[in-house]
This record gives sequence, structure tokens and C-alpha cells, in this order.
Amino acid sequence: MRAILKQGLFLLIALAGIYAVLLAASHLFVGAAYREGGLDSSLAANTIFMTDPKYVFLNRAALKPGMPRIVFVGASNTAVGFKQREVQALLPDAEVDNLAVGGSNMTQIAQIVDLVQELQSAAARRRTTFVIGMWYGTFVQDRFRWNTPDRRAGDTDIDIERYRYGFYRRTEHGPQQVLPAADLPLGVALIHPYLVFDQLSRRASQALRERLFGRAASRTDAERDSSVVSAKEKETALRYWREQMHSDGAIAGEQFLVLSNMIDRILSQGSKVVLVDLPIPHWHAQRSPFYQEYLGHRKVLLSELAGRDGFAYLEMMDLSDDLEFSDEVHPKPRVTRQWAARVAALITTVGDIPPESRISTGGTLIAGQP
Amino acid sequence: MDFTSSLYLGFVTATVLAFNAWRAPLLRQFVLLAANLVFLAGFVQSAEQLAPLLGFLVLGYAATRWVARWHRRGVLEGTVLLIIVVFAVLKRYTFLPLRMDLPFLYLQVGLSYILFRILQMVIDSAGGEDEARLAPLDFVNFTCNFLCFVSGPIQRSNEYLMNRVQLDRGVDEAVAFSAMHRVIKGYVKLAVVSAVFNYLFANLSVPVLAESTAMAGWRYTAQYAASAVTYTFYLYYNFSGYMDIVIGIGWLLGQKLPENFNRPFSAHNIFEFWSRWHMTLSDWFKTYLFNPLMRFLADRVAAPIWLPYLGVIAFFVTFFVMGVWHGSTSVFVIYGLVMGAGASLNKLWQVFMTARLGRKKYKALAESFAYATLARGLMFAFFALAVTGLWVNMDQLSLLARRLGISGLMFAFVGTALCAAVIGPAVDHAARLLVRLAPRLGRPGLSGLFAQNIVLASEVCLIFAVGSFFHKAPEFVYKAF
Repeated sequence: MRAILKQGLFLLIALAGIYAVLLAASHLFVGAAYREGGLDSSLAANTIFMTDPKYVFLNRAALKPGMPRIVFVGASNTAVGFKQREVQALLPDAEVDNLAVGGSNMTQIAQIVDLVQELQSAAARRRTTFVIGMWYGTFVQDRFRWNTPDRRAGDTDIDIERYRYGFYRRTEHGPQQVLPAADLPLGVALIHPYLVFDQLSRRASQALRERLFGRAASRTDAERDSSVVSAKEKETALRYWREQMHSDGAIAGEQFLVLSNMIDRILSQGSKVVLVDLPIPHWHAQRSPFYQEYLGHRKVLLSELAGRDGFAYLEMMDLSDDLEFSDEVHPKPRVTRQWAARVAALITTVGDIPPESRISTGGTLIAGQP
Repeated sequence: MDFTSSLYLGFVTATVLAFNAWRAPLLRQFVLLAANLVFLAGFVQSAEQLAPLLGFLVLGYAATRWVARWHRRGVLEGTVLLIIVVFAVLKRYTFLPLRMDLPFLYLQVGLSYILFRILQMVIDSAGGEDEARLAPLDFVNFTCNFLCFVSGPIQRSNEYLMNRVQLDRGVDEAVAFSAMHRVIKGYVKLAVVSAVFNYLFANLSVPVLAESTAMAGWRYTAQYAASAVTYTFYLYYNFSGYMDIVIGIGWLLGQKLPENFNRPFSAHNIFEFWSRWHMTLSDWFKTYLFNPLMRFLADRVAAPIWLPYLGVIAFFVTFFVMGVWHGSTSVFVIYGLVMGAGASLNKLWQVFMTARLGRKKYKALAESFAYATLARGLMFAFFALAVTGLWVNMDQLSLLARRLGISGLMFAFVGTALCAAVIGPAVDHAARLLVRLAPRLGRPGLSGLFAQNIVLASEVCLIFAVGSFFHKAPEFVYKAF
């Protein structure tokens, strides 16, 4: 017994010593994780967090309190379409954060909203406007969207980040917080060596992964601006979304209910909501069996939300010119300023923005006139 | 209980501390009994789910008694048949024509390994071996030993008793270090190396198994071969890592469990391979299936010239059964047939070459560098392609067969064999070099307990780092077999 305890103690001491050295070295050579300014999850790959879910989950502690806040949530087209710096330039008296995560459905978007609110005081919540980007691809049912071999069935990408470093623990009733939200900066500082390891591993293996698994390297803005979607790519995209939605045209009501509940929660906390119907290229809307079904669900949802204080809806399908998209859903970089202007104009009517910063163009305000 | 979970580590720590808090063998046996029962309970939600397993254990215990009491061949044969039928019913083999499934969910994990232990005790009891008839407490601790319950190693009852008589021994510092070293080495294999191969396999195999894939021709063949090879390494590091973990924990619980792996990819033929891979399983099949079958066949064939060919038949049957044992669906029948065909072809080749060259010349040829290297590559390629049966279902297997065709399969086999023939000896050489260099790397003063624990702690850090990187530790793959 004594020998076992002694050996166990030696191991623990050695472990503590090594980790202390790694912690010191990682902070010394790599630097702190957080940066000043609005958050932009599309830049996650350039940070120590590397992926957008990890960036959103761990980096949200950098959200600055005090200022009016505009938080964009949605999937990758929200991240790509509403560039943080472009929207921020139009709304200088608010802090603009883009916390959109690629591949999100409404369940994951609602989780991100909860993560932001978790860190906010009641006063801060009242000065926050959530901009929710939606299109039919954000309404994939949970059992289809979150059921891949690399995860426990039902875990979203945000759930994975919750459990990854033990900041949350898995229970029968869902994730349970272990590390209080207020201690998030300390937690991130303590796991710094793991973040560095993750970053180094991803960078070192990037070329190999692209070659071995045939993953395309990310395109530059110039390449995306000049791209033309071929007929074959259109067919592949339509087939891909049929596989993702797991149906030939029907969209279950599950995720619309999640969206409706999320909006209720946000409004009940005193925050405001701008729901943006994101455009997809005309050819996609025409040929996808899901688009008409989506419009039907959307109509019902909007009729329920009409008249709610603090809620606004922005329709953007007039920006669905085929030539302005680099694929079946993402806008070309050259049109994102137009997207930013459109949303900024509406935000000023519902957000906590001083009158002198307001812009008055575009947008369809259907409710919540101040 | 997931082997990489904090729950399992906590359970093991509590068991080790409780076991070593006492010296009295009986108390230690009760600690092990409690641990085994807690481990079993971790798999089920209600007592009903345990009932079939308990019934199977009671049948096994009674069988060891009645075969010893009535020394008749018919009793033994009937008992073995009864146990196998009950096992087949509990195992829910989907390819059997007549199925009698129990109409509720119950624990199936560990059944195969309990079957091996029970059959060993029954057959050895009938043979008059007293060590095969265990007292009730020993019977439960032997058949349900939490270390071997899920996937072996397959301990024999005499080995269990040898451990039991030394149960009052303490653990000294050298054993404590070696045990923790072995456990951590196992976790490195399981949570680091096998996780990396699992990641590679998961990504490489997607286009291979996708209904609609743009991949074709040599590219598809190469992708299939790469998937098969990465799965093979995943399987090896996953399974042998698990073995290191349970063997290391066993040392802290007064149990010397048998080794199960010995550099299998250095094997030059299928028989050598199975004496290095899942050794306790191969040894069990050799003792309780191959040898009796050879005796049975030899008794019926008088001419000695046919004896080598009887080996071909016995090897086919043994490897076929071993293959089928791995699962309960029809794809495992195909896997068994491939393993059986491989073993009998290998045996035929040996018979043919011995007849043509003579025993001495054939031995010399087999030991020559070129022949041995090629044979090693062929063996690896055969195994890697054969275990495809463990990662596909029947639909995917037919899809693979259609896309690859005979020529694609042959290209995959030959390509893998040639790569393995080149890389295998190079890896061996590098490993030998590292072993020679390792002592020189240690600086004076940095040796002893401190340095050893720094190495162990570094390995633990690596396990945590890779574990958090992949966020989901790979399943213990043999749990499903």
C-alpha cells in the first residue's frame, strides 16, 4: 500500500511540475488568448482558438461590458455575409460581435445566445441586440444535424467545447456548468498549454489533411469574387442539402419552435432581436424543394411574432442575384458591405444606438417600432 | 463503464486502495468480488438485464460439477453443445436459421469471454483436472473478473488459482512503478496512437463507403487500402493498449494476467501471426478446437500421407470459427471464411513447399531475408484486408466488392504487401536504433525515480492533450466482439 501511495504521489508531483513549466512557457511564448475589440468568429483560424465553436465558447469572456452590443448569431453565411469590421464601421457607438458558427442550426444558435447572456448583467442584456441570421439550412433537425461518428449523438459543436476541457459536465439533463462563467478567463488561462498544443497540431497537419482527405484549402476573397458556380456544382449542392435535411422537401417544425422560444427568451431578458432572412442565390431558391416549405413556416412564425416589442424582421431576398454568390449560400466578399448597410439600417431602429449614429436605408420593420 | 472515463479511473483507484488496505486473502477476495459486481452493475439499468448472464453462469457452474461426476464422453459432448446453444441464443446471432431471442434487453458484453472460461472449466473438469472446479466465490471472481470481463485476456482457471494462492503478497516500489508505467503506456496507445489512427481511418473511409463518390480506379483502390491499413493499426493499438491497462492494474491487485500481444506485424505467416495477436484466444482455440479436431480426423484417416492435409482442414475450421466468433451478423461469416481460406492456403503452401524442397531447404528459404520480408508484407496485407469485415456491414461489403472488382482487390493486396515489406523492416531497424541510443540520452543525475516519473508525467500530459484535441476518446473496439 505504501509503495503504491508513494508512487502515486511522485507521479502527481511530477505532473504538477511539468504542467507548471508548460503553462509558464505557453504564456511566455504564445501570449494571452484574448484580444481587444469586437469578436469575429470568422477570424477564429487566426487565433489560438483555431475553430469557430471554440472561439465562441472560450473567447466570449472578451465581450466588453458597458457598451451597447450588437451580436450576430447564425451559420456560416451570417459569419461571411456580415463582416464584423464592416458592420462595426456603420455602428461606431455600439460594440459589434459576430459569433456565428459554421453549420449551426437553431439549437446551436440558441446555445450561443445563452452563452452570451450567461456572462451579462441584467443591465447589459437590456443594451444588447441579437441579430439572428436564418435560411432553410439552419432548420435541420437535431437528430440529423448532430449525429456524426466523431461525437456523442446529440452533442452540438458548442456542447463539444463545453465538455472538452471539463468546463461543463455531462448529465442526464444536459450540460451542467462546472466552472462559473465569471471564472472563464482564469479557466482559459489555465488550459493555455492545451490551446497551444491544439493550434500547433492543426497548423502542422493542415497540409497533410488537405492532401489526404481531399479538403479544399480556403479560398481568398479575390478567388471567391471571381468564382462562377457551375451546373455540376449546383447539382452537387442541391443533393448535399437533400442529404443534410434528410427529406425530399419537407422541413419539420422542430427548429422553428426552437427559434420561436429563443426569441421569447431574448425578449423576456430585455434584449432586442433582429431576425434576418438571409438571401440565397435565385437558382437555389428556385430549384430547392425546401425553399417553398421554408417560406410557409416563416410566414407562420412571423405572424406569431408580429407586434412584439423589441423585435424586427429583415427580408433580404432581393439580394439573391446568382452572380453575387460564390456557392449555393455564401455571398461574395464584394457584396458584404451592402449586407452590412442593410442590417445596420434596421438595427438603428430597434437597437440601443444613439440617434446620431442611426442610418435610415432599407429593411422591413414589421414590429417593435420605438 | 468507459475505460477512458474519470468514473473508471476512480473505480480502479478505489479498488486498488481497498484491495491493498488488507493482507488477508479472504478479505481481498471479497474486495475483488465487490469490484466485479460494481463493474457488472455499471452496464445495466435493472436486475432483469443481468438475469440471462447470471443464468448462464449458474449453468456453467453446474456443468463443471456434473461432467466431473459422470465421466462419460456423451455427457461432456451434450454439456458442451448445451452451453454453446444457450450462448448462441443469448448472443442473438442474426445469421442462424432458427432464432429464439429473449424478448427484452439484457447484458451481452462479456458473454463470449465467459463462454471461453466456462468451456475450459467444463472440458478440463471432465478430463479430471481438479483445478477446473472452482469454489463458488472463486468461480464468480474468475468468470466475472472485471479486468478480463470485456475482452480478455482469456485466463485459464489454473492460472487464476496460481494468482489466488499468492493473494496475500504486498506490492513493492518496483512493482508499483512498473504497474503504473504499464497502465500509462496502455492509455498512450489507446487514447493517443489509436485515436490518431481512428481519426485517419474515419476520414479516409468516408469516400470509400459513400454511395455516391467521385473516386474511381486506382485512386479508389489506394484509398480503400489506406483505410484498411489505418483501421488495422487503430485496432492493434486500441486492443493492445487496453491489454496493457488491465495487465498493469492486475499487478496492483495481485493478479498476473497472461500477455495477449507480441509484435504481431513481424509475423511471417498466419500461424505465427495468431501466436502473436490475441494470443490467449488463439491458444484457447488451439487447445479446445484445433487439437481435438486434429485427433478426431487423424483417428479416421489411416494413411500418414494425408496427415498434412488434415491440418489444412482443421486450420480452416478453427480460423473460420474464430472469425465468426467476432460478431453476430452475416458479414462475420464472410470474415470467418476469408480467415479460414487464408489459413488453409497458407498451410497448403507449406505442405507443397516442404514436399518440393524438403524440410531443410524450405526452412532455409523461409529464413532468407528476401523471402521473410516478402512473407511479412503478404501477411500484413492479408490481415489488413481481411479485417475489412470488422468495419463494414453486408451492404457496404458488396458495394466495396463491386467497385474494387478482382483486379482492384489484387492491386490493394499487392500494393499493401509491398509497402509493408519495405516499411516493416525499416521501422524495426529504427526501433532497434532507438533502444540502443536510449540509455545514452539519460544525463547523469537525472536517473532514478525522479526521471522515471517525469517521463510518466509527460506521457500523462500527452494523453490529456490528445484527448482534448479529439474530444471523444475512441471506443474500445473489441468490446463489440
